[in-house]
Order: sequence, then structure tokens, then C-alpha cells
Amino acid sequence: MNHPQDLTLRQQADAVRRGDISAKELLDATLERLRERDPAINATPVLFDELSQVQISQAPAGPLYGVPITVKDMYALPWRAARNGTLHNMIPAGASGPYRNLRDAGLIVVGIANQHELGMGTTGVYSAYGAMRNPWDFERCAGGSSGGSAAGVSARLVAGSLASDSGGSTRIPAAYCGVVGLKLTYGSVPYDGYFGAATTFSAPGVITRDAGDARALAAALVQRPLPQQSGSGLRIGVVRDPFWNDADQETADVCQRALKLAGWKVTELKIENFELAVAAFLGRLIAEAGVPSPDVLASLSAPTRALLLAGMLAPARFVPRADRVRAAVRYSLAAAFDTVDFLAWPTSPAAAPTLEDTWIALPSGRKPVDVPNVRQSSIANLTGIPGISIPVGLNTSNLPLGLQLLGPWGSEARLLDAAEHMERVSEREFVNLLPPLAR
Amino acid sequence: MSIFEDWARATFRQANLEVDEEDLVLVELVYKGALSQLELLDHIDLEKFPAKGIDLRHAPKAT
Repeated sequence: MNHPQDLTLRQQADAVRRGDISAKELLDATLERLRERDPAINATPVLFDELSQVQISQAPAGPLYGVPITVKDMYALPWRAARNGTLHNMIPAGASGPYRNLRDAGLIVVGIANQHELGMGTTGVYSAYGAMRNPWDFERCAGGSSGGSAAGVSARLVAGSLASDSGGSTRIPAAYCGVVGLKLTYGSVPYDGYFGAATTFSAPGVITRDAGDARALAAALVQRPLPQQSGSGLRIGVVRDPFWNDADQETADVCQRALKLAGWKVTELKIENFELAVAAFLGRLIAEAGVPSPDVLASLSAPTRALLLAGMLAPARFVPRADRVRAAVRYSLAAAFDTVDFLAWPTSPAAAPTLEDTWIALPSGRKPVDVPNVRQSSIANLTGIPGISIPVGLNTSNLPLGLQLLGPWGSEARLLDAAEHMERVSEREFVNLLPPLAR
Repeated sequence: MSIFEDWARATFRQANLEVDEEDLVLVELVYKGALSQLELLDHIDLEKFPAKGIDLRHAPKAT
């Protein structure tokens, strides 16, 4: 057998079930892999060497028994508070709802996945543990806020990670690191012990190497089967402006080629009120982000502190108007999903920027990458719908690109069908691409 | 000191939050950027955007 972390999450579970490898052997090999590779990318700053051994002895014989995963710093664990990428305990230690569901499937939490502090960024540059680095190029961002989850899965440190998504935080790092990122429908998992529960945007997400693994991990998370069907013949709605027209040309071309390869029926759409969606997202965000205690605020990076402080100043008159727009956008989306199965556009309008310069050049001009990233992703958070980022290949700088599909409320299984279809028609070319760190 | 800086400092002081010059420069940039988006909401037609209940877990029911 190769190194067990070169197997998929499903293969690892099967190998343990068959007795080809014991859960302890798998865990020991995983810890060794983490110690060997993680220092280059800083994806997993906290390892549970002894506690993960204890978990094995207590884990139920669930469908994913013995498979090690990482958990984003946003979730409380029985032995560790949720710190949310800061030095502070933001939610006391305890078994958070999402953790309980993963534990009951037999999964083993081997470490904490690094994240952008407080989830307030799409680069992964700012964290109390230090910046996350992209396994495809250590000088580039892993993405955020779930950058440690995506970088760790991409580097084959673990096969799956529990992430979260309040404004693209699962999908964007997945695109930057060349892995699959699935954001669940809002409210589909118990939210206790989850920092995202403080907002009406956030939903847990899973990051894995392929769609089959995402299906297995997401089914454990929502505690119901996500049945598999054919992903061929889907009707895809494409909203050109701004999601495609204001993307880097190479990124748009690669995503367009993937859509063509899938053979889906593509229709151009205009969706009423979409032009107000980012304003509504911001209007709500300023009301929901709040400001942490002075000691937490003082410990944050200057950009994160500025985001929170600026929110304090924003007039409250925008909040009820944002809610009116939010309701209207949900109706517009529901109408769109009467005519197409999914909407599609590039997850991020360009590949991962460097850690040193997080501005990107787009047809509309040079911008801090968070601005267009949030534009591409926040509609799902504003409206509660699920979304997935699937790898669709590399650009000419050998950096991964992701195609985003957004579906109706509760359509996770169908989104995974679409991702698996893409894997079939591409003969798994995109999901089998290995970053230099994992070769 | 600019009007913005005066106002921001007073607001933060009321909340017992210490801010320095670097904070204020960044806060002003972020605030003005956000405001340029948020002001779109000032121009919506409230007749066209009625207040409606939101359950983010499901599609809205037609009314």
C-alpha cells in the first residue's frame, strides 16, 4: 500500500473496515505526514497527538470509523475552545453540533485547521498562527477563511476537513488549492458551538479531494444519505455580468472549457436584483459582524481591526433595506431555479494572489482580492443556498482554478452529482492533479 | 483632524476602544468603500422591495 494519506477518504474508511490497516496505524501515518509536510504550509498549527489516540478508543463503528480529519478553528471541541484564528477562546470548549455529527460517524479529529482570523478574509494571510501557504506555490495565498482546511487536503495531509462558509470561505480556498469545497444549505446542521451561528450567513462546509469524499463527509455532517444520481444533462444558468465578464480572461476560459466538457445545456441568464446582492450582503454584515471585546480587538491584525471598526460606524438605516433586498433576491433565485438546475461561474475571478500582494488585476481594475471574491460567492450566503467549487485545471502559472456551481436550497446531493460528472468526463484529470508538495 | 477622524474617534471612545492613527487611516478606507456599495440601498423603491419574512433554510414560498 502507498502512504495511506494518498488514498481518498472513502478508501481510507474501506481499508480500516476491511482490516488492511488499523485505525491506529492510519492515525500514526497521518501524524507523521502532518509533521513532515505541514511546516511548509502552516495548515494545521495544532495537532492532537495523544487525544486522537483516545478518540480511536472511544469512536463508534460509524461509516467513516478511524479516518482522521482536521476541523477549522471555528468549532468548539470537547477538549478545546473555538479560537477562530485568534489567541482567544471565542466559544468555550464543548462538543459543538457539527463535531458531534462527525464524531458519531467514527471520524477522528487529528488537529485544528488554520483559518483567516475571525473568518474575515479570503486570503488566509492573517491568523494568530501565521499565514497559510498554498501547496502549489508557497509564496501564494491558500485562501480564506478556511485556508488551512484546503491547503491540508491539497497537500495530502488529511483527506477531509470541516470548514465553514460565511462569504465564500469554503469555496474560495478550495478553488485556490485545487480541491472540492461544498458549502451546505444554511441551517442544515446543528449550529451550537459554531462561531458562524452568530450570523445569518454562515454554514458549515467540507473540503475534500473529490466529490465522492465530499458526499461521504457531508452525509456524516448532515446525518442523512446524500443519494447519488447521474450528473449528465443538467441545465446550467450562466450570469455573464459581472461573474464571468469581470474575471481574469484565462480563469474564465478554463471554466468555460470545463462547462463545455461536461456537455451540460448552458443558458445565459439575467437574474433580477442581483446587482444589489453585494450591497445587501454588506448591509447585513455590518449588523452581524459586531465588535469583539477590546482585548480581542487589540490582538487582531490591522486590516481585520479596520473591517470591524468600520462596521461600527456604518449607519443602521441600511439594515432593514438590506433585508428587503435579501428577500427579493431569494425570490429571484427561486424563479431562476425553475428554469435551470444550477448557476455557474468562476469561484474566484483569478488564481491565488501572492501573500505579499493580495490585489488582483481584473477588467474592472486592480482591487483587493476580498472584494471580487465576496462578489462571486456572497449570493449563496445572503440567500442560504448551497454551493460547490470543483477543480477544473491549472492556469499557465500552474495554479489551480475552480468552477462554482450554486443550487437550490437542499440540493447538495445534486451538486455532488454534477461534480462527479465533471470527474468522469475529465477522467479525473483535475482532481488527480498533485501540488509540488505532494509529489 | 478631519471631520471623519473626529467622529470616528468619538464613536470608538464611547465604546471604550483604543484606536491609533494607522487604524483610522484603514477604517476610513474601508468605511468609504463599503459606503459606496451600501448607498445603492438608499435608492431602492420600497414598493418594489416589500418587507418579507426570511427562512434561509428553504426556498421562499410564492405569495
